[in-house]
Amino acid sequence: MLSQQALHEIASVQSQEASSQHALLTALRCMQAERLHVGPQEVEFLAGLLDLSPATVEGVARFYDQITKEPVGRHVLTLCRGISCYLCGADAVAEETEQILDVPAGGTTSDGRLTLRLAECIGDCSHAPAALLDDEFVGPFDPQSLHAMKDL
Amino acid sequence: MTNVLTRHIEQRDQARLAVALRGGAYEGLRRALKLSPAELIAEVTASGLRGRGGAGFPTGRKWSFIHPQPGQPVYLLCNADESEPGTFKDHYLLKHDPHLVLEGIAIAAHAIGAAKAYLYMRGEYASIARDVQAALQEASAAGILGDHCLGTDFSLQIEIQLGAGAYICGEETGLIQSLEGKRAYPRVRPPFPAVHGFVDQPTVVNNVETLANLSYILVEGAQAFAALGTDRSTGTKLICISGAVARPGVYEVEMGYPLLEALRREAAGVRLGRRLKAIIPGGTSVPVLTAEEAAPVMIDYESMQAAGTMLGSGGMIVFDETADMPKALLRIAEFYAHESCGECTPCREGTGWMAWVLRRLVAGEGRPGDLELLLRVGGNIEGRTICGLGDASVQPVRSFLQKFRPEFEALLPPARDAGPEWQRHGHGPRTARHGAPGDEALRSEPVDGPPDAAL
Ligand SMILES: Cc1cc2nc3c(=O)[nH]c(=O)nc-3n(C[C@H](O)[C@H](O)[C@H](O)COP(=O)(O)O)c2cc1C
Ligand code: SF4
Ligand code: FES
Repeated sequence: MLSQQALHEIASVQSQEASSQHALLTALRCMQAERLHVGPQEVEFLAGLLDLSPATVEGVARFYDQITKEPVGRHVLTLCRGISCYLCGADAVAEETEQILDVPAGGTTSDGRLTLRLAECIGDCSHAPAALLDDEFVGPFDPQSLHAMKDL
Repeated sequence: MTNVLTRHIEQRDQARLAVALRGGAYEGLRRALKLSPAELIAEVTASGLRGRGGAGFPTGRKWSFIHPQPGQPVYLLCNADESEPGTFKDHYLLKHDPHLVLEGIAIAAHAIGAAKAYLYMRGEYASIARDVQAALQEASAAGILGDHCLGTDFSLQIEIQLGAGAYICGEETGLIQSLEGKRAYPRVRPPFPAVHGFVDQPTVVNNVETLANLSYILVEGAQAFAALGTDRSTGTKLICISGAVARPGVYEVEMGYPLLEALRREAAGVRLGRRLKAIIPGGTSVPVLTAEEAAPVMIDYESMQAAGTMLGSGGMIVFDETADMPKALLRIAEFYAHESCGECTPCREGTGWMAWVLRRLVAGEGRPGDLELLLRVGGNIEGRTICGLGDASVQPVRSFLQKFRPEFEALLPPARDAGPEWQRHGHGPRTARHGAPGDEALRSEPVDGPPDAAL
C-alpha cells in the first residue's frame, strides 16, 4: 500500500524512539501523500504496520487537517483565510477561485486534478492573500494564475 | 542598528554551509562547547534572553530546571509550529538562515545535556523543512553537528518532524503529544515538561527565534546582548507586520523600539495612505490596541503589558480605517473555534459559541443581549482550561467589544424586537476538529446545531 521509500522513512522515524507510535504522524503524512487520503483501509494498514489499534490510528488521523478521510485531488490548493489575509481580500480571492475551478471550497475538480481547501493562517501573511499549491507557497495568490496552471 | 538575527539573512545562499561559515556560522557553538553546561546556562541567564514563543519566560532559567537522573535522556524540542495568526518570523529564519537555528539548537542542547533534539515544524512548512534538512545534512557531514560536534565529546542528533495541520501543536505539551504520535491534546501541568516531557523524560521546548539568538550571545557575549533593548527586555525582536500595511514583512528591531515607528519606517505605513485604526501587536491571542492606545507603546514586554496587551509572538496585524471590526473579530473567533483541540469543555464549547454568536451578529441576525452573551461565554472559558488557547480565544473578543463597541451595537436589533427568552435562542455551534463538518465549518454561513440549552 505504501512505496518502499515511504516504508523506509517510517521505519527510520520508528527507530528513533522506543515507542512505535512516535512514527504515526510521519506514517499518516506518507499515506496522505501517496494514497491521497487516510480512509478505513489505510487506517487498517497503518495499525498493522505500527502495531497500534485501528482506533488509535483513526483518532490521530482525524485530528489533523492535512490528513483527509476522503481522497483529495492530485494537487491541493490551500487558500489562507486567516485574519491578515482576510484584511487583504482573501474572501474575494476564494470566491473567484471557486468560480474559475468550478468547485466549492473543500471540493475536488471533476477530473480529480485539484482539491481546493480553505485554511487558517498558513504562516506566510506577508504574501497575503497567501496560498499553498501542494507544498509550495504561492502568495500573493492571483486566481487568474490558475488559467496558466491548467496543465498541472 | 545591531542585527542579532538578521545579519546574514539577505546573504545569497546563506542556507549553504560554505556561505554561512564565511559569515561566522557555528562560531557561537564552538565557544559554547568550551563552556560547561552550568557556565553556558549562566551566560545565557546573564544575557537576559527571554522566550520568543509568546510567554517571554527567561531562557536560562527554563534550562536550569532540567535535573535528569543519572543515565536519563534529556530532550530539546525546537518549536517551529508557528501557527499563531499573523506570525511568520520562524518561517523567515528557517528559510533564509537555517544554520543559525541549527546552531542555536546545538547550543541549547549542550546547555541542558540533550543528546537528541527535535525540530517540530508545522506541516505547511514542508518545503522549508526540505531545505533545513539539507542544511542539517551538510553540517553533519562537515562534522559540525551529529557525532562529536566540532571534534568535541558532545554529540547531538537532530531530527526534523513535520506536523499535519493543527494550531495546538504549537502549545508545548501539545507539541510533545504530537511528536509522540498522539492527538495533540495538551497535558495538565504539573508535571512540567522539565520533569516529565517527551517520552516522559526531562524536556525543554524553545521557540525558533529564541534559539537563533544564542549564537550572538556566545560570540559577542552576554553583556553585549544585554546592552541591547531595555533593562528587562534585552536584545532584539523579530516583528511580523501584516494586514493593511504598504510593506508587510519580517523586521528586526531593538526591544524598546516605538511600535508606530516600526509600522511607519519598516512597513512603510498603513497602505493607500489610509489612517491607522487598530493594531494587534502579538498575534491574535493578545488584546487589540486602538491607534490612540498604540501611540506611546514600545516593542518590549513591559511596555506592551502597561498598555494592557502583550508582545506575544510579535505578529503585528494592522487594521486601517476601512476595517470592519465585527467581521474581523468573527474571522478570529472562527480560528479559535476551529483550532480548539476539544479536550476541555469550556474551550471546546465556548469557542464555538463565540464564533456562532458573532456569525449571527455579522449576518444581521443578532439578538438583544448578544454582546453580554459573548462576554459571559468568554468569562466561562477563562481560567477553566488545560492550556492557554482557551484564555487566548477570549482576549480578542473582550478587547474588540470594549474598544469598538459602537460597531457591534450597530448590529443589534432595537430592543423591542426581542421575543420571549426561549425564542431568542437559536441553534448552537459546531466546529471542525471535534464536530462533523470539515471545510464547511470554515465558511461564514450560520450553521445549524443543537439548541443551546447549556447556556
Ligand atoms: C495555544 C498555544 C499555541 C502556541 N503556539 C506556539 C507556536 O506556534 N510556537 C511557539 O514557539 N510557541 C507557541 N506557544 C508557546 C509554547 O507553549 C511555549 O511556551 C514556547 O514554545 C516556549 O518557547 P520559548 O520559551 O522559547 O518562548 C503556544 C502556546 C499556546 C498556549
Ligand atoms: S484550552 Fe482548548 S485547546 Fe487547550 S486543551 Fe483545552 S480544549 Fe484544548
Ligand atoms: S493570515 Fe494568511 S498566512 Fe497568515
